Amino acid sequence: MSSEPIERRVSYIGDRLRGSKCGICGKEYFRPRDYCGTCGRRSFGKMQDTDFFYKKGELEVCTLVKEPTNKFTRLESYVYGIVSFDNGRVRVPGRLTDQLLQDKEIDVTEFEGREVVPRFRRRYAVEQSDVVPTIALTFTFADEYYPFQEHQIVKPRKECERPGIVGYGAYTSKFRIKDGAIERSVPYVDEDSITAAVEAGKMAIVHSGIDPLMMAKVYVGSESNPYAVKPIASKVAQVLKLGEEDKERGVQTVDAVDTEFACKAATCMFKDASALVYYPSARGHYTMVVGTDNSQAAPRNEPGGELDFFVGYGASAFIFGMNDVIAEMEDWCSCTSDTPDFWRRDLESYPRHGGRFTGEPAYFKHVTKAAEKLMDKMRLQPKDITYFVSHQPNVAFPVKVATQLGFKEEQFMPGLQVARFGNTYSSSSPIGLAAVLDIAKPNDRIVIVSYGSGAGSDAYSLLVTNQILDKKDRQKFTICYQAENKNIEYIDYETYRRLKLGM
Amino acid sequence: MTRAHPVIIGVGRTKFGEHYEREPEKLIEEAWLKASVSAGLERKDLDAGYLADYFLPITNKIGIEEGFLSELTELHIPMEKTRSFSSALLNACTAIQAGRYDVVLVGGVEKMTDRWDKIRDDLMLLEDPWSYYAGCTPEANHELMLREYVKQHHLSGRELETLNIALAQIAVKNHKNAVQNEHAQYQREITVETVLKERKKAQKPLGLFDYAPVSDGATAIILASPEKAKKRTDAPVCVAASASATDYVTYPAREERTGFIASMIAMRNALKMAGIAQNDIQVAELYDQSTLLEMVSLEDLGFSKRGTAWQSIAESLNQSQRFYRVNGKELYVNTNGGLKADGNPLGATGGAQICEIVQQLNGKAGNRQVKPDADLQYGCASELEGFGTKAYVHILRRGDCR
Repeated sequence: MSSEPIERRVSYIGDRLRGSKCGICGKEYFRPRDYCGTCGRRSFGKMQDTDFFYKKGELEVCTLVKEPTNKFTRLESYVYGIVSFDNGRVRVPGRLTDQLLQDKEIDVTEFEGREVVPRFRRRYAVEQSDVVPTIALTFTFADEYYPFQEHQIVKPRKECERPGIVGYGAYTSKFRIKDGAIERSVPYVDEDSITAAVEAGKMAIVHSGIDPLMMAKVYVGSESNPYAVKPIASKVAQVLKLGEEDKERGVQTVDAVDTEFACKAATCMFKDASALVYYPSARGHYTMVVGTDNSQAAPRNEPGGELDFFVGYGASAFIFGMNDVIAEMEDWCSCTSDTPDFWRRDLESYPRHGGRFTGEPAYFKHVTKAAEKLMDKMRLQPKDITYFVSHQPNVAFPVKVATQLGFKEEQFMPGLQVARFGNTYSSSSPIGLAAVLDIAKPNDRIVIVSYGSGAGSDAYSLLVTNQILDKKDRQKFTICYQAENKNIEYIDYETYRRLKLGM
Repeated sequence: MTRAHPVIIGVGRTKFGEHYEREPEKLIEEAWLKASVSAGLERKDLDAGYLADYFLPITNKIGIEEGFLSELTELHIPMEKTRSFSSALLNACTAIQAGRYDVVLVGGVEKMTDRWDKIRDDLMLLEDPWSYYAGCTPEANHELMLREYVKQHHLSGRELETLNIALAQIAVKNHKNAVQNEHAQYQREITVETVLKERKKAQKPLGLFDYAPVSDGATAIILASPEKAKKRTDAPVCVAASASATDYVTYPAREERTGFIASMIAMRNALKMAGIAQNDIQVAELYDQSTLLEMVSLEDLGFSKRGTAWQSIAESLNQSQRFYRVNGKELYVNTNGGLKADGNPLGATGGAQICEIVQQLNGKAGNRQVKPDADLQYGCASELEGFGTKAYVHILRRGDCR
């Protein structure tokens, strides 16, 4: 059994790497302190809060761990060492993650002196019934897959008339499995849908340049939350310090909620998130919608195993607001029917799906209905739309539906990302949207139609603004960067199953 | 005001290693009985007891060790529990010097193999939790310290190779010493090649033969005030100095990471207390939890200059394989085999160090007896708790101390 009070305190400090700096002598500490050992009593009340969440450090010394202690055995081998921040003013212990060492011959001394960035990961393995422990004392190299990016708060310049997206980010892992023409993102063994949600949210904050304390609400849509009861959103809010922080009580003044509706759990909240920031008393505030999934599938020889050819891992986050909007929300349309095409009963590990019925009548009926209704409502023809993005459980469905709706390849191909990351469930069409936003120009119109089994679709029309150009350079970790990265590591099926199962 | 130094009037210990069939009480009983026989006293002569163990509450579900010792000795005297044997000894010395007690039992016991599948996790209790959360192991900090040492002193190429072999030679020397120690866990010799092979297999700078093992065992000594000691022994060994110091539990947060500040401070204070210089010490029991720590201890305790111990070790062991030549004098280190070969039942380990120094100073170490260039008078034992979080140095002197 894990101890809940300890888990609370450790994650409060460790997930964010909080520290203190003496306001008199500048001495720095990992972990918050009320006074400085050098300055003593004089420093009471003069300690400043620091954290290393958006910083980069240096791996000073390291060693290979091949025989971890019991809770770490799922990691097999890993590199452990000392990481320093702020030119050696503070040092923390750290583990390198995203390293599949197995029996590779490596000289870890070559890692020493390299720059690393803190990552938010599972801490170690616990019983299935326990609280999932997390930590950010895990690092990856700053010059590899995951880049170092500072977070700079940019003062908003322009309030828009309509709410819309003010920033976004996506996160997929550096590991991939390749099956024929399709590549799929695979979590490292210490990743899950919680860690991906935090990473995507972090990217969206970096891109938007907003002050996280202005966040009013965070929505997290997922169907692979490691908990049946306990939100991912609360973790995202705490780690990303969303809303105003009450340090005495350790509480964020923000609303946080998880939503579930198969693969449309996130997109269905886009309009709610937009509506909230439009509310008069919420002016100047922001909302964030995260879609995250370590998409579940049974092994290939078991019932539901056909999904195992398509499932991916990833998350995306969209921040909505009225200030410096990059894509205004023009209109939306949703539709729903009780269609049991894909489901997972409580306590079952893997979902089942309704075979050929998942296409027709499930997927096509809903996507077409929502798209047509929205276009009717707005009197849009396919030619009025620059990019069309739909839910992408495979390559065939979105291509077929887009063609049926009258879209051409140049309109739907940029948003078709399933062949690069697999079906990331709640983040499937949102990653498509992110890919399109990465290349969009002012005045482009984007229509996104999600699909969630069970079943329903949300269609949105977004109009890109001039602001998109201002923010473009803030995000290095684009969809293209993640898909074409030279540090991607391809793994075999056995490794994929092991990593996907996690710690 | 300096108080008269307490005297060790009896020592006893069990064999170290795995005692599969024996409970911890059987081990401490054996050690205590041997110590009482060698001191020629009965249990009722005891005024107080100090018992050291780290993990009995975890390994054997014994929460109040004092009650356990009370039951064993059938005594109701004051007893206290500490982690390390050196800590127990320091507390006992303080009490005797304060005039509180005259005859005190100091014991240590550990039963690590009773939890062989979890003991490496338990050992992480001796590190800070953040290092544990980041994936630290009982061995990792030793390897990081070696890396810090190599980098700080810019060692590469030939020098680095010499250092690596010097560390292997430490293990070889300690195993060789243990052959003459009937109580040692490993009474067999090993070669430099064996040590290097294990490192290569592990792809690590330190391998299986660089580390002290997991052990069971118990040790005990009887400590007495000088007045009481006079009546009971004609071969007294007094505790000329008993010092300790502390350091941050988080190794990465320490300023000094190529050695242990706590050891340096404890040694400095111990020398001052004993009124002697480093060079007066001829035998030393150093805390070689790894071969690296024996090397680093030579520097921390001032026998070698910082960054040079590996040279002295390489030069000395290439010739004699018995002692280190430091500052032009012979220094015999870990004559019982050290933690590496004698064994390392944590709470009892410091007791084995003290037993060894007492026997060496009394000339009763049998085949292990050292014969340094000058008459044997001073020996020291240094023990760590955790990875240098606490350090203890005891200096023992043959004969009465004033």
